[in-house]
Amino acid sequence: MPHLVIWPPILVSCAYVLLFSAWTIWVSFTRSTLMPDYSWAGWRNYSSMLATRNWHIAYTNLFIYGTCFVVFTMALGLLLAVLIDQRIRAENIYRAIFLYPLAVSFVVTGTVWGWLLNPSIGIQKLMHDIGWTSFRFEWLIDQDMAIYTVVIAGVWQASGFAMALLLAGLRSVDADLLKAAQIDGAGPARTYLRVVFPTIGPIFIAVLVMLLQFAIKTYDLVVALTAGGPGLASTLPTVVVYDFMFQRSELARGSAAAVMLLGSLAFVLVPYGLYRMWQQRKARAHA
Amino acid sequence: MQRHHVGRRALLAGAAVTFAVRRLRAQPASKPRVTVISQWSSGSSGAAMMALGKVFEQQGGVWEHNPVPGFTTEMMNKLRAQIIAGDPPAASQLKGPEIAAWSKIAPVVDLDAMVQQAGYETVVPAELAKLSKPHGHWIALPIQAYRINTLFISKKAADQVGVTKLPATWAEFNAIAGKMKAAGITPIANGGIRWDDGMKWEIALCGISLDAYRKMLTELDEKTLKGAEVLAAFRQCRKLADWSDPGIASQDYTTFVPRFMKGEMGMLLMGDWAAGIYKRGGFKVSDYIVGPAPADDGKIAFDLNSDEFMFWQKPQPEFQEGQKLLAKIVMGKEFGPLFCQITGSIPVRTDTDLSAEGFNDQQREASHSMGEAARANRVVLSLAHNMAQTNQITAAMIDVLTEFVHDNRITPEEGQKRLVAAVDNVR
Repeated sequence: MPHLVIWPPILVSCAYVLLFSAWTIWVSFTRSTLMPDYSWAGWRNYSSMLATRNWHIAYTNLFIYGTCFVVFTMALGLLLAVLIDQRIRAENIYRAIFLYPLAVSFVVTGTVWGWLLNPSIGIQKLMHDIGWTSFRFEWLIDQDMAIYTVVIAGVWQASGFAMALLLAGLRSVDADLLKAAQIDGAGPARTYLRVVFPTIGPIFIAVLVMLLQFAIKTYDLVVALTAGGPGLASTLPTVVVYDFMFQRSELARGSAAAVMLLGSLAFVLVPYGLYRMWQQRKARAHA
Repeated sequence: MQRHHVGRRALLAGAAVTFAVRRLRAQPASKPRVTVISQWSSGSSGAAMMALGKVFEQQGGVWEHNPVPGFTTEMMNKLRAQIIAGDPPAASQLKGPEIAAWSKIAPVVDLDAMVQQAGYETVVPAELAKLSKPHGHWIALPIQAYRINTLFISKKAADQVGVTKLPATWAEFNAIAGKMKAAGITPIANGGIRWDDGMKWEIALCGISLDAYRKMLTELDEKTLKGAEVLAAFRQCRKLADWSDPGIASQDYTTFVPRFMKGEMGMLLMGDWAAGIYKRGGFKVSDYIVGPAPADDGKIAFDLNSDEFMFWQKPQPEFQEGQKLLAKIVMGKEFGPLFCQITGSIPVRTDTDLSAEGFNDQQREASHSMGEAARANRVVLSLAHNMAQTNQITAAMIDVLTEFVHDNRITPEEGQKRLVAAVDNVR
């Protein structure tokens, strides 16, 4: 009976994901433009996508954004988690406040940060209005810095999420371990660095993987915040895929871009899957 | 077994009855009918579509409008889905070279006989006729036009620097912008999103040399692309970018309307729909000076943007009748005043009388200029508004232009080089 309930939805969703992925892969090798056209084009769509400036900029940006986003989100999340871990009063309120950004949609985050960071209407204007006229914060309109505004908004949004997971990890550490460390005379900093963090290593990796795939999938944030601009300066692969598929009616090239994006996701998720398998095997071997 | 037989017979009888009833119902309902999709869901465009629907119903038709709000491309996605599903709308909004491209993917209605009967071809600009009959037959009908190369000057800003009339050439324009800059006014009130960036460059080239514009955009002529006029357009475009607000990145021009009206910003290069935005914002015609953008050769130039209805083949007779009725209404003399008085655009029939009160002076001037330009063969099609090239080529060109506008490290020479390369890549 349980099998009967579980299998159909699993099969349907697998078919759904696999069929459409397969179809996209197929289309990426055809000459489709406005409409699907199943005549074979070989690798041409891939090579022409790889040759476009849009794709270069998008992947450079993904690298910058992915790295900064993951590093800063983890760091901030960890800091918040450790601070909340100090048995403070009104812990629930703080937790709710820090988790709250996650409840806000990326579009809202992007729009609000877009206003805040816009030099003509946001923070810079405020500073100028209160008299600090030499204040400059123009990243949003700077070709080279625009992608970092996406990092700022992304970190603001996701660090609460990292905090929640890491806090759960911190709380799961065996109290005996902590006591032992205390008896050995380790201070709080040392306890965290030498005892707590190493024990929750797997949680770090889980958070890292989740944040990485967040980063690769980011679309609405950058659309709402910078619209990929100024010019093309803050475009990301997801934006390029949408742009080619639906704005330019280049179905095949857009699909090729989507397949490459799927490849990047696999690049993150497959090693993680292997790592998990290795861990489980190790655990089994120990048991 | 017996019961089963009865059941089946009853089922058959039931089906027959249902079928008959359906047929009976269908008979009186074979009023001419159309299903239309467009992006015009709200605002003045939505209201204009509603007015058209009302006229259609008054003439005995059944009107079904399914707007898809947002960009034109979103409407296209819906259209694509409907075509793949085998159920295209009776008519859809489409424009420019997309008409030719889309006509290859599903059968369209040949409107030749009706167009001839209405004597329509002689009263619309030749450029529009060409777009509407890409393979020699009329398959689409233009419904409204806009002039892209339009210049708006804030009255308050103009008063501050003593400007009373529009600049005739780019040199005059640049002189005024310089004066405004010196007076602490931001000279250009444009925004900084893709199509706006493409449009600034397009208006510059159109005013520098109409012939170069036409040759490079419609024929993608390599020699012109590498020529002096295109380079001059990049130079002018750099000036426009430098005179804009530093925070234009990803801003729509409408963000700056209040500052423009207050006189903090000077000039806006924008299609004449901006007047409709001003009107809705509660501003008066006396708040700004408006007219054609500069043209260095002093001759008339009309950079055209236009919307059309394209008619898709439907087997049902009620739809075919509906398409005929819709085509008749759209080609009629009354349609222009009906639609354009609401949207603020220009009627496509060059013989439309615009003296009625519902039109404003700007529409009269622009319409007159379209007629003049059509007679002088000085009408060109807009790049940034997808009139001159298909989406693929337009998008590749605008990629270059938008980067150029936002990055002043790219020299005009480098910009031109990149434009040539981008066109080569997609050609």
